[in-house]
Formats: sequence, C-alpha cells, structure tokens
Amino acid sequence: MKGRAIGAAAVCAVAVVAIVVLGVVLSKNVVYFRTVSEAVEERAGGGGDGRLRLAGEVVPGSITETARGVRFEVTDGEATADVIHRGDPPDLFKEGAPVVCEGRWSESDVFASDRILIKHGSEYEPPDVDSGEKASGDKASA
Amino acid sequence: MNEGLLGRRVGIALGWAALASLVVLGVLGLVVAPPDAVQGDAQRLMYLHVPAAWLAYLAFGVTAVASALYLWPRTRSVVWDRVAGASAELGVLFTGLTLVLGSLWGRPVWGIWWAWDARLVTTAVLFFLYVGYLALRRIPGAGREKRCAIAALIAFVDVPVVHFSVEWWRTLHQQGTVFNEELSAQIHGKMALALWWSVLAFTLLYVYLLDRRYRLEALDADRDERELERAIAERLAEAEPARVEAGARS
Repeated sequence: MKGRAIGAAAVCAVAVVAIVVLGVVLSKNVVYFRTVSEAVEERAGGGGDGRLRLAGEVVPGSITETARGVRFEVTDGEATADVIHRGDPPDLFKEGAPVVCEGRWSESDVFASDRILIKHGSEYEPPDVDSGEKASGDKASA
Repeated sequence: MNEGLLGRRVGIALGWAALASLVVLGVLGLVVAPPDAVQGDAQRLMYLHVPAAWLAYLAFGVTAVASALYLWPRTRSVVWDRVAGASAELGVLFTGLTLVLGSLWGRPVWGIWWAWDARLVTTAVLFFLYVGYLALRRIPGAGREKRCAIAALIAFVDVPVVHFSVEWWRTLHQQGTVFNEELSAQIHGKMALALWWSVLAFTLLYVYLLDRRYRLEALDADRDERELERAIAERLAEAEPARVEAGARS
C-alpha cells in the first residue's frame, strides 16, 4: 500500500508540473493571431522580429497584383499595414475579406506574407440576389 | 431476451425515425437551404459538422452522468458502466467526424486543412482523451468500472473547454453562431431550419445507436458469463471421472 501511495503522489506531481508547463506555454501561444493595431504597436516598440500572424480586413481598392503575388493593405479599423504576399491568394480572398496573414515584418515595415488564411465570421446568409428575399431581414430569432 | 435500454419495438421505430430524419436533412441541407454568400456550397458541411460536434458533447455528457451514477453507491449498477462505455464510443466516433468534416471545410474556406488554434487543439485533445478512456475500459482487473468512471469524469473537464475555447482565446475558428454571448443566432432562416433539423436528426441517431451499442455490450457480457460457466462445467466433468478412478484405485 505504501508503494501505491508513493506512485499516486508521483503521478499527481507529474500532472501538476505538466499543467503548469502547459499553462505557461499556452498563455504565450494561445493567441492565434494579432490584430493590425497590436502588431503595428509592437513593431513600433522595437519588437515583432519573429514570425507572426496578422489579422484584419483587406482595404477595398488596395489590392494590386505583383509579379510574385499580391500587394494590399490590411486594417482593423484603427491601424493599417502594407502587406506583400508571395504566392497565389486563396479563392475567397477579395476586397473587404477578413484575412489572417502569416509572415514577418520586412526592414521597411512592410509585412511580408507567405500564407493568407480567410477568417470566417459566425454569420451565415444567402447571396443577396434580386429575386430572393432580403438577406438581412430574414434572420432566425432562435 | 431484451437487454436493451429501450424496448425492442421502440428501438426499431427510433432507427427508422433517425433514418427518415437524415433523409429530410439531406433535402433541407442540399436543396432548401441557400448557399452561403461568402463560402458558397462549402458552408453546407455545417449541417453535418455542427450536429456531429453537438453529439460529441452529448455523448460525453451522458458518459459523465452514467459514470457519476456508477460511482454513487446507491445507484451503482453495471447498467451505468455499460451506458458510459457505449456512449463514449459514440462520442469518439462523432468527435472524429467533427474533426474530419471541419478539416474538409477548412481547406476551401480558410485555405488550410488544420490550424493550431485553441478550438482545434482542444477538440483533438478531447478525441485522444476518450480514445484513452476506451483503452482503459479494456484493461481487466478488480475495480475496473470504478477506475473508468473516475477517468470519464476527469476527461469531461475538456468538454466545456472545447466549447468556450472560441470565447476564451483568440482562434481562427469562428465563434458560436447560435450559442454565442448574445444568444442570438446569426443565421438566415432556412439555414437555421436545416441546422436545427440536423441537431434533431443526429440526436435521434445517437439514441438509436446508444441503444444498439448497449444491447451489444450486454449480450457480450452475457456470452462471457455463459462461456465461463461452460468452462467450469467442463472442468468439473473432467475432474469427476478422475476422482472416481482415484477412488477405485485406493
């Protein structure tokens, strides 16, 4: 019985250590992306050297095609950042689309992205076609 | 012999009801509900992904309640242990389905199959926690049921973490459409109808499958018991002539 008690205590100790380590790791990494204003502020403060994810909306009218991909601006309503993306943007990429760009800041403070994700919201509605009912007026109240 | 949770006829009727409601779901999800303005037809995966996730919660919830009832001395019964096991198996199945369907949806909409965000990771953890629980159930020995019941209660802690992960942490996964903070569904009427129907259809399917799985578990235990009895009878029959022989010799 004494051996069992020691074993149980050891298991509990390992579990506690694992939870603490997980908590420390998670609290730093659990944020999947940074908003544009957070990232810009961090950059202005001298940080933001590593790889990060930048989230915001594509500024309408800012998209231009480049030889290697696209260049556009992304905003969260407060701050705006220039993004140069290498590669083909995803299908749902367009003006006003909510995006998460993966990459790092270049020396000239342009965000060099190599992957664009589309962050979808929790709203669902049909395309606004002339013949159909008005998309926003027919939401369930459940 | 009827060893199911429900009567035989009720079980069969439930099976047909589940099948019929899944057919109706197919019509609602593919024909009646319009495609999403942004995601197009990929959004229709929601009518499987969301009810599958709901069933995972429900199944693990039932496992937790059954485990608690087993641990409580006044309600302790092998019935609760079997319900817990049967429900956990379904929960693992539907958690796996949630992950796969979500991945299939993520590729066209997000652009990636998998993201290491809090919702996805906690859901994967949920899957492996209950795979572990099912493995634990297979380990024989005294106190097996009690051990498993405690494990089921510990594993259930992850269910609310999965559900609230989109509120607690910043995730790529969208927040709840129906059970959000404002408790107002942000979904178009016909889409909402298909979504609610999918929850109903999957719930029927769950109850039906739980009954079937429970029945199987009970039959399995019954067979084990009979085999044990037969083995004992055989050994006794073997020992009997030997004893007679030994008696004759002495």
